[in-house]
Order: sequence, then C-alpha cells, then structure tokens
Amino acid sequence: MSGDTRQNLQDSLLALDMQTTIVQVKSVIEGNSEINATEAADAITSALEIVGRRFQNGEWYLAELVYSGEIAKAALELLSPAMTLGIASGRGTIVVGTVAGDMHDLGKDIFINYSKSAGFNIVDLGVDVPTGTFISAVREHQPVALGMSCLLTITAPEVGKVIQALENEHLRDVVRVIIGGAALTETFATEVKADAFAPDAVTGTDIIKRWSE
Amino acid sequence: MEFKERILTAMNHEEPDRVPTMGLILDQSTVNQVLGLDTVDIVGMLRNPETKDVVVQMMSDESSRFTNYYQVHCGVQESAIKLGFDANWSLYAAYMQLVQDPQTPIGYVFHDAFGRVWEFTSDEKGNMLLNYTRPLCETEEQWEEWVESKSAFIDKVIGEVGVFHKKVVEDFGDRIMPIGYAAPGVFENCWQPIGFVNFTKLIFEKPDFIKRVIKFHTDLYLRYLEQVMDSDVEIVLTGDDLAQKTGPMLRPQMIEDLFGESYRRVAEAIHKKNKKMIFHSCGNIYQLLDKFIEWGFDGILTLEPTAGVDLGKVREHVGHNLVLVGNLDVSYLLVRGTRQEIEDAVKKALRDAARGGGYILSTSHSHSAVDANRLRWMVEASHQYGNYPLIS
Repeated sequence: MSGDTRQNLQDSLLALDMQTTIVQVKSVIEGNSEINATEAADAITSALEIVGRRFQNGEWYLAELVYSGEIAKAALELLSPAMTLGIASGRGTIVVGTVAGDMHDLGKDIFINYSKSAGFNIVDLGVDVPTGTFISAVREHQPVALGMSCLLTITAPEVGKVIQALENEHLRDVVRVIIGGAALTETFATEVKADAFAPDAVTGTDIIKRWSE
Repeated sequence: MEFKERILTAMNHEEPDRVPTMGLILDQSTVNQVLGLDTVDIVGMLRNPETKDVVVQMMSDESSRFTNYYQVHCGVQESAIKLGFDANWSLYAAYMQLVQDPQTPIGYVFHDAFGRVWEFTSDEKGNMLLNYTRPLCETEEQWEEWVESKSAFIDKVIGEVGVFHKKVVEDFGDRIMPIGYAAPGVFENCWQPIGFVNFTKLIFEKPDFIKRVIKFHTDLYLRYLEQVMDSDVEIVLTGDDLAQKTGPMLRPQMIEDLFGESYRRVAEAIHKKNKKMIFHSCGNIYQLLDKFIEWGFDGILTLEPTAGVDLGKVREHVGHNLVLVGNLDVSYLLVRGTRQEIEDAVKKALRDAARGGGYILSTSHSHSAVDANRLRWMVEASHQYGNYPLIS
C-alpha cells in the first residue's frame, strides 16, 4: 500500500467508507503497510475522536455516529489479534444498564457502540436491570464507571436507588457513576449524587476517558 | 364558543374565545385516577401461575382484541372529557399479538403487525406498561418474510382502524374533539422493526433495500390514513419521533432524501380530504422546523422541554406557519409541580405562543406518572388566563 496509511484510514472512516477501511486494515495485517496493527488501531481511535467532536458540534448526526462506530468496531476486531498493545480494551471497563422498569435500549446501545470503539471494555447488563445486579457487577468487574440509562420519568427514581445501594455496600468510593437518557437532566444528576450527566454518547465517553486517565 | 370551533379556530391561526386545550390521555393510571377505577395488575396475574393461563387466553383471543381495546379507550376519552379538555388524541394501538417468549421474565411479549417486540412492565401502582424493546427483522430476508407472512393481519388492522375512529367520533364527538392519531408513522415503522443500528448500516450499505422499505411503509401508511380520515375526524395527528434529546436522529438532508417525499404525500393526502394535520415528534426538533413547513404540515406536537425546546423560540422561528401544540413539562411539572408552578407555566406558554391563535395548550407527552389533578389545574389555568384577548 502506498502513501500515508494512517491518514488514509482516518479519511476512509470519516468518509463512512466501510469497504475501503477494511481493505486498508487487511493490508496492515498482511504487512503491506508502513504502520503496524497497533498504530492502525490508534489511527482508528483518533478518527473516532474527530467523529465525536463533529457530533458534539452538531455537524454529524446519530446515524453517522452509529455507522462510524460500526466501521471502527469491524476494523478493531480485525486488528485486535495482531496488536502488540491491547488498545481495544485498554481504557478499562464500563458497566452499563437501563434501570429497573425501563425497557429502552437505544441510547444505551449507541453509547456502548461508541465507547467500545473508543477502547473501553463494556459489560452490558441489558434493560430492566434490578439494583442488585448493578451492585454485583460493580463488585465483580471493578469498572472505571457505572453508566445508567433511563428514558422514563417514572423509572428515574431507580437511578437514585442504585447510587444509594452503592453507598450502603461501601462501593460508592470505588466507582464513578454517569447517567443519561431522555428522562434525566444535569439537575437530576446532582440531586441523586451521580458524578456526571451525559446528554449524549460522545460526551459520556469523553467524561469517562478523563476518569480513566 | 364550543370546543370544536375553538380548536378549529386556533388551527386557522385565529383567536378563538380562549386558548384551546388538548389532552394526551392514554395511560391506564390516569384513567383510573380520573374515573376512580381499581388497578388491574395484568403483569402480576401473568406472573402468577394460578391466573396466568386465564390471562393469556384473554389476551390471545383474536375475536375480542378490538372490543377489549375499544372498551379501554372509552375510559381514555371519558377521562379527557371529565378533565375539561377540548380535544384528546385517539389512538388505535391494538395491532399486536401475544407471543410466547421464554427469554423474557414473564414468558410472553407482544409482536406488532410491523415487526416490533413490545415487552410488559408495570408502573408502581401495577398498571401495565408496554415498551418497544427490539426488532424482529434485522436482515433484508427477515423483513421480506415478515411483511409477507403478516400481510393478512396488517390488512385486518387497517380495516379496524377505520371502524375504531368512526366509533370514537360517534360515541364521543358531541362532548370532545377526537384527534385521529395515525401512529406509528413511516419513519418509526421503517427503522424500529429493523433496529436503529441495523437500519443505519443498511442506509449506507443497502440503500436500495431501505428505499423499498420506505416505499412499502409510505403506501401502507397512506392506506392507514385513509381509514382514519373516513371517520368524521377533522384533525389527523401523524406520529414519528424524528429527533432525540440533542437533535435529529438523521442528518436533516438525509431525512429529506429518504423521507421527504413520504411526508409530502402524507400532508397532501390529508389536505385533499380538507382535514388538518398535526405532526408528533419528540426530541429536539429545531433543525427540522423549516422542513415541517416545507412538507406541508399544519401543526406540530410535543415541543419537548426536556429536549431543550423553548416554545417562544419555536414561535419566533416558524411565525404563524405552524400551529404549536404542547410543551408543558411531564418530567416534573405535571408529576409533582405545585399549582402555582403549573399556573406560571401555562401563563408563560400563552405568552410565548398563543397570540394571534395557532396554539393549543397541552402537555408535551403522556406517561403513567402524570397526575390527573395537575392536568385539571393546567386546564383550569387555561380557563383563567387563556381568554382572548390575552392580557399579558
């Protein structure tokens, strides 16, 4: 492959061109490029940061965010076995779930899709997650962050219950809590003593990146 | 002025005697609260081995699906009348069939006619809630198979829609104005049975397939709409959540390219029958306001404050090119707000949007924690402060 593969990889991802991205990734794996798999993965992650900024600035939309995440995921899956440094899950673990009584998973899944591509290991507890399951998962996985999603106003109190349970179980100091979803606001996050409120997947991932540094 | 004239005057951007009100009553908890009914814990009965079989039989009985739904809907309209609303949305949602699903805690889910899975939960009082949880047609092949296998059921549902709306107008139209809600709309019927991540992938990777899905659902939706309009419903509410908390789900130009023609056809079909169209979309819709006007919509509903939508800002942007409906908060105000807070919010909404007509006071949405007493306070505040000419 000729030229600057790192730049080409970024360009193809930002052009939302799955096919070209995968061709370039395969070329890296086969040793036909001037960069190695870890450097290629780093290029993909950098491109995703540009995606995130574009989304936050309102230049890109949910569909582009989701599809670029899919391209990055496919590329990183191919690169992973050939990488010398484990960038794919190098940033740490996030435990994520939608609170009890709430079955909505779109926002949660978009967050998972994006944060996974950004290098986090994700433990997805699914929807309608009871408080006890959040607590057990935090104890078991010792994540950088616990993310709770909530679309319904009626289930918003569940967020506070989980945070209270973390305190009761002496786990509040070992994990940071981030919340998001249509029913939640910054004010609500303060009320229930969450560490952060994320209005979207990119902001949420950025906040957790800072926590993981 | 009576309720119907009040609503239609506002829809024409003229000032009626007072600002009209529209109810978004739908949830059983609201109906129970207004009509003093006891909660029927259907989810609890489905979980209980002693009652499960009877409930499953009742919920699976195809012959009573329409009648049972209509009976529940009568409570919805009665509640809206009792609360003093001028209009209330009227939605036929019995397009689902009970299906065994061992993966879920209850063991049963609903599959709707279009290819979605709906799971049960209950609110804290025990009323059943239904949530769309996942798609049934993640691939092109699954979608084709679904559409073919369900065509008879879809036809049946479309027939029922007409009967339903006729009956609602006949039974309640002398006491309230039913707004014929044709939902879900084209966008949601296209992506939800496929799932958002898959749908997005297919937009980029199989655009011809997606165009076929959109054409199919646009044609189907127009048939659905014809049925709604064959009743004496005068205002049709079409429903699609095109936006989420921070903005449109797809780039506005992509929405135009994929769905613009569909929405134009929908608006034209409604206007051809001399009816008015209100479009329901949750989320932050600022970037779509010009499109709504361009597509020919008469009004828009939810104007969701939790997605950052400011009623005054919307009015400033659209002028009197769109009737605005909604905007009163259902995350706090109509759940736990004080009477004074509700009065203040009503006054602000009237100030922001009601001058010259073209505003219908309403909550931004419904859900089971919305308190009926607070809805009543909202309606009463509109009677107190919403008389034209508006004072402040």
